[in-house]
Amino acid sequence: MNEMQFFHFGLMPYPFIPPGSEIESTWVTLSNAHYDPKIGARLYKEYLDQAVLAEKLGYDGTCVNEHHQNAYGTMPDPNVMGSQIVARTSKIPVGIIGNALPLHDNPVRVAESVAMLDVLSEGRIISGFVRGTGMEYHSMRANPAYSRERFWEAHDLILKAWTDDGPFAWKGKHYDIPYVNPWPRPYQQPHPPIWLPGTGSVETITEAAKRRYPFMMVFAPLSFTKLNYEMYRNAANEAGYEASPEQLAFCVPTYVAETDEIAHAEAREHYMWLFGTGLKVPAYQHFPPGYTSGRSLRGMLEGRAKFGMKDHWDLTYEELVDEQYIIVGSPDTVAERLNIYAEECGAGVHVGASMQVGTMPNWKVVKNMTLFAEEVMPRFRPPGNQPAWERGVPLPGSAALVTPTPEAVPV
Amino acid sequence: MAVADVKAPAVDATMLDVAGTPVAVRRKGSGRPLLFLHGAGFTGQWLRFHEALAQGADVIAPEHVGFGGTPLQDWLDGFDDLVLHYDDLRATLGLDEPFDLVGYSLGGWIAAAYATFYPEKLRSLTLITPAGFPLEGGSVVDLFHMYPEELFGTIFNDMANVAEVAPDPEDIDAAVKGYEEASTTARLVWERRDDPKMPRRLQRVTTPALVVGAEHDRLVPDEAADAYAAALPDAELVRIPGTGHALVVEQPAAVAKAVLDFQERVR
Repeated sequence: MNEMQFFHFGLMPYPFIPPGSEIESTWVTLSNAHYDPKIGARLYKEYLDQAVLAEKLGYDGTCVNEHHQNAYGTMPDPNVMGSQIVARTSKIPVGIIGNALPLHDNPVRVAESVAMLDVLSEGRIISGFVRGTGMEYHSMRANPAYSRERFWEAHDLILKAWTDDGPFAWKGKHYDIPYVNPWPRPYQQPHPPIWLPGTGSVETITEAAKRRYPFMMVFAPLSFTKLNYEMYRNAANEAGYEASPEQLAFCVPTYVAETDEIAHAEAREHYMWLFGTGLKVPAYQHFPPGYTSGRSLRGMLEGRAKFGMKDHWDLTYEELVDEQYIIVGSPDTVAERLNIYAEECGAGVHVGASMQVGTMPNWKVVKNMTLFAEEVMPRFRPPGNQPAWERGVPLPGSAALVTPTPEAVPV
Repeated sequence: MAVADVKAPAVDATMLDVAGTPVAVRRKGSGRPLLFLHGAGFTGQWLRFHEALAQGADVIAPEHVGFGGTPLQDWLDGFDDLVLHYDDLRATLGLDEPFDLVGYSLGGWIAAAYATFYPEKLRSLTLITPAGFPLEGGSVVDLFHMYPEELFGTIFNDMANVAEVAPDPEDIDAAVKGYEEASTTARLVWERRDDPKMPRRLQRVTTPALVVGAEHDRLVPDEAADAYAAALPDAELVRIPGTGHALVVEQPAAVAKAVLDFQERVR
């Protein structure tokens, strides 16, 4: 089987809310009266312990991300969580996938926080950049019509802040900052690897490929992931190179147990929570005006009409399994499914390996993580089952750092 | 009711070059020039409301930048850009004498902003269920936070004529157009749904003004019409019975009559 890297990733949900069928949304308008901070403290502790366990079990990395005003993922500041994990581990890479650039008024703050973490961890940080979900444009009152412009301008500013000696002045359309001069500078030189997680817009995929940034598909069926990887590979070819497996990542919730039967019995209700409740989001929250282009919207609407694609919360458990939104089964079954990504799709990074989802209790998470590490990961690694960071394998995305990036003008 | 019953005779748009920006304009009627600024939708067609106005005026109906047949421009960022754009359009059309300006909903906000900058260029100002006035507590309804069919349910109190403007839910072209126009609206109003400077600036508008309110507007609160009428130095307020925010579609003849009667009274 092809080699693959495995990143642990937990969304840190607050699952004690009414079921998706009874609420408008798990985002934006679900009252935070449902949040009990005492329960929240226990959950944070469990979730962080799971990230620490990922190092002990030899995962290739562990990840955090940013979401606002929702019960699906209670990490409004991913750098705070990243800092906790950095402090409690010593070797495992920490992916912040990612900071939601357009939601914030000054990108220099992101450059500073990520550089701090990179120095604190002595170079263990992967810096993901995202636009934030459509829901967060409602919650944070950032203008979705400028989301893409702000994303790329903030990206360019952060990269310059990391790589050029300060102070310099930034005069852009959205940011005008007379003194850019962040201390500290990143530990990794020229800067931490950059990932672009996404749900598959033409614009993001093309830009990611041009810059050799790993692109991560999130919660998509296998068929859609294949299409998007194809788009990435074509864009890479146009940029004059072949995309490598480390550039193609996929975030697919995965649960492994002794047998297929046990795995389904243990996982089912929690995946149904993730898709049926955690991702209960009406379209007007998901796609505020301008968040996506008319062209992408047309593709989406035509796709739905043609393939009968459903909203996440409308999917049955059987559909989740059959269309490979999730991978559930015995070590053999899970390895077989993962191998489709490795061989047919040419992907090399599995994110969300054994992650906690929804209402899944700690014991199942620990069991799943352990079985996955001991029975599945070795099949995609050289003999010895060592994580990439023990073998001196560079972080996914490092290739982009030695190849000059084009003077790309973002869409 | 068949769609044909609620459609006005078609008037094609012609493209006008306004200081380098192509603008789709429909024009019909005779008499004094009446510049009509549309709201955040109902574009791409000559409405029965336009037709009713054209019985008593030379109706000039441009489409805003990023709406209908007028392409979006990079320079569009705020209401001041539209005020200057519409003054360019006025100059392009050769409207050198004071003219009658009418704005509906979002167009009412644009018209009010135009009037605060160029009061002397107006013969009269008419605002129909205008948006943009800052009210205590703000607007309770978030037009970006509902499905299109809910929005129609909110703006129409009387659904009898809705077929004039309601898109076919299966029509992907219409859905994309609606989304793109909403994206333009977001550029203008996403962060702030009103203009806190408006009340003070309206003191400059000594032009005779008419505010046309709905009987009960469930999108822009009824207080907005009252507040505009109170803040404008020389304004009267009328309300059209039986209507909601979409009054120009619900009662086009009654609204047009109120507008034309008022303009007739202005000396």
